[in-house]
Formats: sequence, C-alpha cells, structure tokens
Amino acid sequence: MKKKIFQYIIIATLVSGVIISCTKLDEEVYSEVLPSKFNPSEKDLPSILAPTYASLRTVMCGWQGYFDLQEEAADCIITPVRPNGWDDAGTYRRMHQHTWTTQEYQPFNTWQNAYSSITKCNMILSQIEEGTLKLEAIKESAVAELRAVRALAYYLLLDNHGNVPIVTSFKDVSLPKQNTRAEVYAFVLKELNEVLPVLSEDAATTYGRMNKWGAKALLAKIYLNSEIYVGTPEYEKCIKEADDVINSNKYQLDNNYSDVFTYTNQNSKEIIFAIPYDEIYGVGNQIHLKTLDPLSQSVYQMTAQPWGGNCAVPQFIDTYDADDSRMKDSWIQGPQINPTSGQVMINYVKFVPGMGGTDGIVAASNQGFRIGKYVIKPKATGAMDNDFPFLRYGDVLMMKAEALLRTGKSNEAALIVTEIRKRAFKDNPGKATVTGADLLKGSNYQYGLQAPDGKVSVVNGGADIVYGRFLDELGWEFAAEAHRRQDLIRFGVFQTKRWFNHSPHPQAQTRTLFPIPQDELAKNPNLKQNPGY
Amino acid sequence: MKAKNECYKHRSNGLWFLLLFLLPCQLYAQNAITIKGTVYDSADGTTLVGVSVNEKGTTNASSTDNKGSFILKVSNANAQLVFSYLGYKLQEVSLNGQNTVNVKLEPESRGLNEVVVVGYGTQKRGEVTSSIATVKSEDFTKGAVRDAAQLVQGKVAGLRITTPSGDPTASTQINLRGLNSINGSSEPLVLVDGIPGSLNTVSPEDIESIDVLKDGSAAAIYGTRATGGVILITTRKNRGKSKATIEYTNYVNVQKIARRPELMTADDYRRLIAEGKNYTDFGSNTDWLDEILQNPVSQNHNISFFGGTGTTNLTGSVNYRNWEGIFLRTGQERLTIRADLNHAMFDDKLKTNIQVINRTTSSTQGGADGYAYRQAMIRNPTDRILTEDGKWQERAVYFYDNPLSRINEATNDNTFREMRVSGSLDYRPIKDLSLKILASNVQNNNLNGNSTTFDHVNTTKSQLNGTASRSTYSNKENLIELTANYAKSINNHNFTLLGGYSWQDATFENFSAYNFDFPTDAYTWNQLEAGSALKRGLAEMTSFKSKWQLAGFFGRLTYNWDEKYLFMASVRREGSSKFGVNNQWGTFPAASIGWRVNKENFMRDIAVVSDLKLRAGYGVTGTIANEPYMSQSSYDFTYNEGAFINGKWVQGFVPTRNFNPDLRWEKKKEYNVGVDFGLFESRVTGSLDYYTRNVEDLLYNFPVPVPPYLTGNMFLNAGTMKNSGFEALLNIKAVDSKMLKWNTNITYSTNKNKLVDLSNKQFDVTTEFFDAGYTGEPIQSSTHRVKVGGPIGQFFVLKSVGVDDNGKWLVENKDGQVIPIAESTAEDRQYYGNGIPKYLMGWNNSFQIKNFDLQVNIRGAFGHDVLNMQRMYYENPVNKAYNVLKTAYDPVYGKQLNTDLVYVSHYIEKGDYIKIDNITLGYTLPKDFIKKISNLRIYVSGLNLFTITKYKGLDPEGVSYSGDFTFAPGIEHRDTYPTTRTFTAGLNVSF
Repeated sequence: MKKKIFQYIIIATLVSGVIISCTKLDEEVYSEVLPSKFNPSEKDLPSILAPTYASLRTVMCGWQGYFDLQEEAADCIITPVRPNGWDDAGTYRRMHQHTWTTQEYQPFNTWQNAYSSITKCNMILSQIEEGTLKLEAIKESAVAELRAVRALAYYLLLDNHGNVPIVTSFKDVSLPKQNTRAEVYAFVLKELNEVLPVLSEDAATTYGRMNKWGAKALLAKIYLNSEIYVGTPEYEKCIKEADDVINSNKYQLDNNYSDVFTYTNQNSKEIIFAIPYDEIYGVGNQIHLKTLDPLSQSVYQMTAQPWGGNCAVPQFIDTYDADDSRMKDSWIQGPQINPTSGQVMINYVKFVPGMGGTDGIVAASNQGFRIGKYVIKPKATGAMDNDFPFLRYGDVLMMKAEALLRTGKSNEAALIVTEIRKRAFKDNPGKATVTGADLLKGSNYQYGLQAPDGKVSVVNGGADIVYGRFLDELGWEFAAEAHRRQDLIRFGVFQTKRWFNHSPHPQAQTRTLFPIPQDELAKNPNLKQNPGY
Repeated sequence: MKAKNECYKHRSNGLWFLLLFLLPCQLYAQNAITIKGTVYDSADGTTLVGVSVNEKGTTNASSTDNKGSFILKVSNANAQLVFSYLGYKLQEVSLNGQNTVNVKLEPESRGLNEVVVVGYGTQKRGEVTSSIATVKSEDFTKGAVRDAAQLVQGKVAGLRITTPSGDPTASTQINLRGLNSINGSSEPLVLVDGIPGSLNTVSPEDIESIDVLKDGSAAAIYGTRATGGVILITTRKNRGKSKATIEYTNYVNVQKIARRPELMTADDYRRLIAEGKNYTDFGSNTDWLDEILQNPVSQNHNISFFGGTGTTNLTGSVNYRNWEGIFLRTGQERLTIRADLNHAMFDDKLKTNIQVINRTTSSTQGGADGYAYRQAMIRNPTDRILTEDGKWQERAVYFYDNPLSRINEATNDNTFREMRVSGSLDYRPIKDLSLKILASNVQNNNLNGNSTTFDHVNTTKSQLNGTASRSTYSNKENLIELTANYAKSINNHNFTLLGGYSWQDATFENFSAYNFDFPTDAYTWNQLEAGSALKRGLAEMTSFKSKWQLAGFFGRLTYNWDEKYLFMASVRREGSSKFGVNNQWGTFPAASIGWRVNKENFMRDIAVVSDLKLRAGYGVTGTIANEPYMSQSSYDFTYNEGAFINGKWVQGFVPTRNFNPDLRWEKKKEYNVGVDFGLFESRVTGSLDYYTRNVEDLLYNFPVPVPPYLTGNMFLNAGTMKNSGFEALLNIKAVDSKMLKWNTNITYSTNKNKLVDLSNKQFDVTTEFFDAGYTGEPIQSSTHRVKVGGPIGQFFVLKSVGVDDNGKWLVENKDGQVIPIAESTAEDRQYYGNGIPKYLMGWNNSFQIKNFDLQVNIRGAFGHDVLNMQRMYYENPVNKAYNVLKTAYDPVYGKQLNTDLVYVSHYIEKGDYIKIDNITLGYTLPKDFIKKISNLRIYVSGLNLFTITKYKGLDPEGVSYSGDFTFAPGIEHRDTYPTTRTFTAGLNVSF
C-alpha cells in the first residue's frame, strides 16, 4: 500500500509539472506588428509620416467633414431634404440656419481628425526624440515637416473651434488644459515660422506634403484672418508671405480652371498644398456621390450609385456673370445624357424650394445645380481620383489682392483680380478686367430669405457689404473649395445676412466659432464651452 | 513560439505518465464465502452490466460483467448486499445464507434522485444547492426544431429563447437572466459532453438531456466563460446495456409565412391615381411578395444505433436535414454523423471514451437577403417582372432594384465543415477516487462563394461586369482537462472533493478575395483571376489570423450531513491571454448551502410535503473580452492611414488602438436564494429562485478625450451593471390514471436590469449615456439610449401625441408641451418603452390517452414594446416612388399624414404576446403490432401556430437582441426574414 501511495505522489507531482508549464498566456500576434518586430529606418519614413496626412483626407471629404462644415454653414451650398432622404435628423438644416448643437457631428469630426493628426505628429516626434525612431541625416527635415503638419491641424482648430488645448507631448496623458484662441494663434505662427528655414523648397517632390511654400501660404491665410482671430490686422505680413510664394516662381496659374480640380490634378502647376485622393489607394473623396442624384450614375457610367444630395443655393448662382466660364466649370446643370443610349436621364434646374423637413417641403431629385468642379472621371468608382487643392496659387494671389484692397491699394488689387478672371472669360476677354473702383463696390448677391416659390423676400441685399464685390470674386473663384465660411466671416456677412432659408442667429457673433464638442467636454472637465453655447 | 513547443512537449509527457494509471491494481482482502448472481432491469428484464455490488459495512465489492453476472466474496453468510447503479434505485438484499442472488433493479423515478449534470460531474437533484434546471429528452419540444435551444424553449425559467427569423440558416437566440455585459459576450457557454460547442453542434435527435447552470454558484466552476450561464448538453449514450437497438426517425414539414404584410396592389395604385395621387402605372399586375415567396418542403432523417457489451459499446447516429426557406432560393442541407465508443478495462477501473462528431452544413442560395425582401415590399405593383426582350425590368430609382433579379442573378454558396474528436480516460484506482483526463480537438472551416451574373444590377446598373468572391475561415480549438474526483461517505458525513486543471487554445484564420469585370459570367467564383478589376487594382483581398489561450485551475468541495445540511464551495483561478500582462489572472470563488427541511423530525408528520429544500448561493464569474489583442501595444500598416509621399502612395504605420496594458476581467457577483419543493408525494414539484447579480469592471469601449489620446475610444474596464429577477418552475402531475395522464409544467420569470455606472477611475468623468440602434436610411437616427441609472433597452424618441391639420406630427417637448415637430429639437426626445420583456411565461402540457400523446406548449412575453419598422417606413405614403402598406392612407389621429418619414413613438407598440407555440399529436402503435419493431410512433406537429397579440407587425418575437441589437432590443426590422409557421408529420421507429 505504501508503495502505491508513493507511486501516486510521483504521478501527481509530474502531472502538476505539466500544468505549471502550461500556463503560458503570452499573446501570439499575427495580423498586427509588435514594436519589437519593427526597426524603422529612413526608408520607412514615408509610412511613418503618412498617417499625419491621412487624417486630413478624412477631415476634408469624410462624412459630414470639414468640407460640409465650411460650405453648408455658408451661402453657396445647401443639402435640402430629398425624396431619398437627407433629413438626417435636421443636421443640414441646422448647419444652414446656424442652429447647430454642441453635439453636431460636423464640428466634432473636424476636431477629432485635427487632433488625430496632431497626436500622431506628437507620437512620431517623441519617438524621434527618444531615439526609437532613428532618422540620422533626415531627422531635422522630418521634425520640421511634422511640426508644420501639426501647425496646419492646429490652424483648422484655430479657425473653427478657437479655444482649444495645445498639446505637444505624446507621453503625457493627463487631461489637457484649454488655451485661448490667441494662444493657439501665437502657437501656430511660432511653429510655422520656426520650421520655415528647414522646410523643403522643392515643389516638385513635395506634392501633398508641407513644404516651405505651403507653410508660407498658410501663414498668409492666418495673417489675412488675423483680425478675426485676435483683433489685430496683419495685412502687410500677409502680403509679404504671399509675395515670397509668388517670387519663388515655383507655382503658376493653370491654363484651364478645371485643370486645378480634375482627376489628374496632381499635374497642376497651381496647387501648393493638396490633400491627395485616389480611387484605389487614397479613397475618401465622395463629393460626386454626395452631390449627384442616383439617376446621374449612367451619365458617367459610374460603378457606384450616387446618393446625392447637396446643391447650389439659387441666389448664389444668380450672382454669376453669364459669360463666366467658372459657372459651367463649377456646377453641373441642365439635361444629363446617358452617353450610350443618348437618353436624358435627369435635368438639373437651379430652383430649390427650400431646406424642407419640418415644413414638409421636399426638393425634387433634379432641383439644384450640383457640384461639378471636381471633374468626374468616366466610369468613376465610389472614390474620386481628384486631389483636393487646400492651398493654391490662385488663392495666394487673391489673398494678396484682398490684403492690398484692405490697405487702400484697390488698383493693385484689381490687377491681380483681373489676372485671375482672365481664364474665366477667355471667350469674352473684355469682361475679365476689373478696376479698383469696382472692388470697392458692394456685393451682387441678393441676400434675403427665399420663399418656397423661389421669390426672395425680406431682402437685405449685398450692396452694403464693404468690399462686397471682392467677396463675390472669392465666391466665383473658390466655390466649393471649403473657403466660404471663413470668407463670409471676414466680410461680416456670416453674422448679418439672410440667404435661402437662413436668418442671422440671435447670437450671431458667437456662431463664428463652433462649439467645443459636447463629447469632448464630457470627457475632459478642463474644457469650457465657447461663449454662446 | 518556443514557449508553445515546450508546452506541448510537456503535455505529451503528462499523457505518458497518466498511462501509468493503467497498471492494474491489486485488491488486498481476505474473504470467505463466494456469492454469485445476476442483476436484471425490473422493467424489461434485460441484464444490467456494470452494477456495483458491495457487502455493506465492508470494502468487499464487485460489479456485474457483460452478462449481468457477478461474483463476490463476502465475510459472512448473513451479509447485506448493496446493489447500486446509475439511474436505478439502490437495493439492499440480505443473504440469509443463500449463495445465489438474482436481483431486479427498479429504474429510478424522476425527482430527487434524478441525476443532474453539474460542472465536471453529476449530483443528485436532492443534493443540489444552486440553481440548475434540467430538461430530459422526453420533455423536449417535438417536431421540426431548429437546434438544441428550441428543444427547451419555454421550459427553463429565466432562459429566454426566441426564433427571430424564418431564415433556414439562422439559429435561435438565447439569453439567461438578462444582459450581463456590454462588450463581452452575454451568450451562455455551451458544453457538449464537456467540450465547448454550440447549440447546433449535435442534432437535436442526439440529445439526451440539457442542463442549465443558472446562478453564479453553479456556474463559477467554469470561471470566465460562465457569466451568461452554462448549458450542458448530454448526448445520447449506450448506458451499458448489452441490448442492440436501432432507431429511425424522420419528419417532413411545410412552412408558411407566419403573417404576410399587406401591401397596396396594382388596383390600389390605379384607384389612387384616379384620385389624383402621383403614382406611376406601368400597366401590369404583379404581387412582388408572392413572386419571391415559395412553399418550402423540408425533411429530416435520423438513424441512431446502440450496441456492444458492457465493457465495449458504441452509439452511432447519422442525421440528415434538408430545410428550405420561404424565400426563393433559400435553404440549407445538413449532415451530422456521430460515433461514441466506450471501452472499460481492469474490472471497470479504467474507462475510456472516444467521440467523433462530423458536421457539414451547406447551402446554395440566391440573393434573397433582407434587401431583396425590402425591394419586393416597395416595388411598384403595376410594374412588370421582365421586359419584352426577357430582361429584368429595372428602373433608375434610388435604392430600388428588381427583387427577382437580385434573387436569381446572385448565387451564394456556403459550406461549413466541422470535425470534433474527443477522448477521455477515467481511472478509478480506488473505489472513491476518479482521475480523469479529457482532451478534444475541434476543427472547422467554412468556404463561401458569391457571384453575380451580367443580368444582376451590379452590372446592369453599376457596370461592374460580373462580380465574384471567395472567402474562407477556419477555427482550431484544443482543450485538455485533468480532473480528480474523490467521494467519501463516513457515517452521515458525505463529501466530495474535485480538483482540476484546464487548458484551452483557439486559433482563427480567414482569407477572402473579391474581383469583378469578368469577360463572362460563366466562371462564377471559379476563375477569380479572369476579372480585370484585379489588374486595375480594384479587386480586394484580406487575410487575418488570431489566437488566444485560456488556462484554469479549479477545485470544489461538497459536503452534506445525512443529506440534510448541504454545502458546496468552489474556486477557479483562470488566466487569459486576452488581458493585459498585469491582469491576466482572475479568481472566481463560489459557495452555496442547502437545508433539506423535510428531513427534519418536525416535518415528519406533515405528509403533504414530500420535499422541501432551502438553498442559497453566491458566486463570482468572469467575462472575457470578445476579441484577443485588445490590450496589445501594436501597430498596423494600412492604406487607410496612408498618404501620397514622394510621388507614390504608401501605407501608413499607426498604432492599432489606444494602448491599455491594464485591461482586466469583467466580474459578475451573484447571489441566489431558492427553494425546491415537492408536495403530495411529489405530484407537485417546483422551484422558486431569486437572484441579484452585479457585473463589475464592465468591459467598455470607453470614450476618452482627444487629445491627448489618438482616438476617441479606449477598451477598458468601466462601470457596473445590475440584474435581479425571480424565477418559478412548477411541475404538476395533474392526472395520473391508467386512461389519462396529464403533466403540466409552468415557468415564470422576471428580470430587472440597471446600468448602475459607467466610469473609470483613470478618467475623472462618467459617461451619462450612450446611444444604440439605428433606423436605417432615410430616417438615419439612433433608436435607443442606454442611460446610467436606467435599464438597457429603452427607446429614445420624440413622443408623438397627434397630427395637425397639415398632416404634420405633433410631439411633446421636454417640458411636456405639445409642439409641432418642426419646432422640436434633439433635446425633446424622451425615453419611451423598453424592448426587453419584463415577464416571460411558459406553460407546457403533455397528455397521454391510451396510445395517443399530445403536447401543447404555450409561451408568452409581457411588459415590453416593439418598434414596428415596417410601419415606420411603409405606413407613410410620402415617397410615391416606393410601395407602402395598405394602411398607409389610414388616418392617424384622424388626419392624413403628409410628412417626411420620421422616427416617432407612434411606431412603438406594446409587444405583449402569447404564443400557442407547439402542438404535437402522436400515436404509438401497440407493442408487437409489427414484429421486430419494438416501438413505432407517428405524429403531427405545428410550430409557431397562433400568436395572440395586439402588436400590428408580423411577429412580436421577430426581434433581435444580440449583435447590433444588444442595446437596441425590440426592433422588428423592416428587412428581417419573416418568421414562419411550420407543420410537420413524422415517424419514430425503434428495432
């Protein structure tokens, strides 16, 4: 018996030996990369930098992204209720009427993606600093580029949310403190100015990336809006930065307006900083799906059915000169023909009865001109090839022109505006010329509320807008380029005018900043809501 | 990798050492008198194999051989012999000097001595101290059941089982004691003969009993997978009888749509056009719903056989099922083959078992998905199916395709194969000790092919020129469990001791490829490389692999004094690779006590009470993260995060998630008190249970601030959820005469759920609520809100109170005032009803009149609401491009609606229902009616027969409460495959 017991003890010991060695619970990872398995070197730099730019792709054309945030709050583009939907719990109506809530997705999306880019920049910067990412010779230029991208992302927040936390460390995950708009403004300027000397001056190899000229164009933009941001105009600085870009001779106006926006626009000579898209690699540009009616599918022989959508405000279309070719280049209008059958699929008309939704108005499928600026490739898929021109030479010229105009040099400004207009009036060159006196006039936009029958009532017009004509020029040149909200604020229109179904918000001045997203306020008690919300 | 190899090597060593157990042991005893005899079954007179025979008060013991005979040496001529055998009543025989003893054992009556399967063992019903429900095969739902769950539908208090869709490839939904996790799984752990499986691992015909471990004290022995409860499926086995039996069962069934939505017909269109409504008349008459429906005939065949001797026996079964669905080109074929081999050696000291289950389900279906169903609902009834030249009639309207083209021009082929092999060695070196090793390997793979022809809208509308895809996945799961069980009775002290170790690992892999733009549609998915989209960079390909491991140690002690005072304690220590390195291991203790009051002297005179047991238990179980790697600091290369750098597109290199190395177990702590009773000599038996469970450290995709975090959510432990409820079970032998037997069984349960808290210490904030559910296009809003302090399942909606003269909704604003919907804001939405039933009831009856048997099962759910999505979308005529329900022009609040589609409370209806769910009438032919056939029964059965409800939709039970609907229960989705009514005729024969 004793012998047997001894036997059992031996067995029990051995069995427990099996058990103890079988408690290894290390995760075996197959479809993810562990840091230990990745030793980055210079050749990996593009992949390491890429995510910081990828966020911009999402923010610009993503669902209810930056494009919508800038355009639907302004006076050129609306998304009315359609038979196929587009009420979406009233969000487009609220964007239009400036009654957005603190939970509105569009400002939230911009916040999320801007900070996503910022955090990724911070992460890579900290890896470079710690030496886990060894870049040797290119370290300095990589750091400069990352800081420039981060500054660009902060610029989006500066412009839209204003009072946001400035975070520059990745390691510190304590809840960030809020900064004022002025601090953010100063931070962005400081960062850009500091990295300028190191940034690449080569335009050809830095397409889609922040180079010196992109940074300067961005500086010009910030200086142009400086009065809005911090109350101090900086038009001279704006002119200087614009001149640096102009005198670099790296960029020029493209011969054709549509060259800047077409599906091969990576060849454009005009684009300074693009957010590149690609139908295979860089998907995300869905402007065509969002604007076109489903019936347009066969017109372009598209492999995806559009679900549009948004369209032009009729009052804005009325401001165009009949001979301005940008009108046709920017907006899809009239009968749309199936190229194989010759059949008219749909006929887009200018008229739109209203935003709809609560009053029961539903805009018909064919009502409203559609965004056609980003030329739709035949047989387009659900993702456009067209890159989004975030900063372009034409924009730099017009920034300079506006700064000149605002500093009393209207004739100099007029020369630049005329240069811009030339390619829009090729068939009618005489109409291209504007004078300094023209630019001092008001706007042609018939601001006022549009009734469901199309009549504009409660008119408060555009004649009283200071430099209103210049604002019109901006509208024609930069329609559907996500500029309009900023421009309207600078010209005071955003806060004061009526258009389509929009009346000024009772606290209009506070609407020039979007609210801090409610979700973020809830997560970070250090944040305080912007005034007026 | 090194660690893994070591692990396996050691394990095989372990096996080798276990083989040492095979060494025969010798008995040391000195005996004088030899007794011989045979043991029979008192019911059918067959001999019983493996019956243990003991001389009372000594260690002298033996057991019957394969002829039912035994030889035992006893110490004195007047000894008492004790015969014991699982499933039979214990019998004691006094020798009184005889040398030969023949004994007839009586099968054990159901009830207190019934054997209940508990974790890693069995227990007598009377000794159980926790909440365990058992349903034996004779009480299963008869007829065309979908899977194991439907067998016990309505029969286990607190277990909610529904069949939310008529899709023949879908399974039942199951939930025990409410929702217990947010991101972990609330699904019960299903063990088939001790090995993790699913409710359709074995065919329903192959199941002998289903035990449900409901409360924490019962389930805690399974530690971390047991929060949703444990369902133990025991398959049919040859219980050691040497008799050979073959059983054949089959059934044929037909199905009808349970309730057909009434849509406007072509005549309605023409009448409305005449009234000036803006509809288009294309000149035809088509009932689109009729066109996509078929009358399915399904069949099921099952052969089982049992054979062998007492030492070596086998059970085998072959089950073939071919089910069709009510939609055109839907159905599924299934073949399940099972073999169970047992062999005992060394006087039954060593028992071995090998079980093999092979299962293949395959389906070749068309494109009859929810979207095609929607297209049939909304398609213009005046439109034609085909054009003059025989092509599908399509129209260029948004989200509007010919449903028949979708169904007929798409093919979806799916084959799932699973092979399960398990084996066990059970060694009893001494009478009271069992050492067991159980190992299993489960491998399955799934292969799917999907293609559309040139006549599908993918090509006729979207110019894709044929699409084809192929996808596959495979799972490999290994389990090894070592257990030691020791049972001892000393005088009135009875105790058992269990100790064990368990290891489980699972590997998942998948692969898929998609291409389009083919020169011909004849290849389908069989020549994927022929599509040109691949060359143009537009094809898609994915692959993935993951693995997780789970290791556990467990122990359990049960003790009772004279079967009067009962006690159980268990603990499991378990580690999972899915958690952060700092928190991989968790400890899950449990304890329960019981008191058999009726065994007390003071109860002796109360004859009415034949059994009364009070019990109470507490147990902790864990919930594991659904996915592995959630705590991992790792990176991905992805084009989603890529950019155009240096003139070419590169993948971005990004962190996969916000890192959280502190991820740990979600824990459920449950108290359960209950009473089991038997009255009038157990003619009335039942149980009452009350439980309250707190789930702590809920795994949640917690919102974290951006900045400083990369993304707005992080998977971490946050919050507490509480469930409490009451369950009652009552079995009554209402009539028990020779002519008529009537057994009735009633189950009742309630559950109250509350999300107590959603917060995490690391983040100084509390989430107040989160939204769930989605209406779909074009309404596009969430349907539910889960609020901290409130129950899961609340709808969050604008409360409609009327319609104004213009046909616009009037709603209640947040201050309770009635306002036009145009003036409402998102802040005016309010909580309105809840999709989870407050009460569930089941009432099951079985009657036996001579040779006829009749089963009537009735179920009900009460105190909940259902969002009727078909009404929300199809009972509003705003969009004249889409067809609507006939009721769309009925006045609402006395007015004609003239408004966009909106989500308002008008479409949320009371969901209470009673279903006469199953009626089965059977007739058993008299014995020996046909020679050689020992039993022959024919039956007819109806499933989902009648529903008594005020709900206006198709079926108040057609709602999902899992997956996307976990937090949005109670939506009868517009695209749900409609539920069906099934009529079955079947036959059971045994030879």
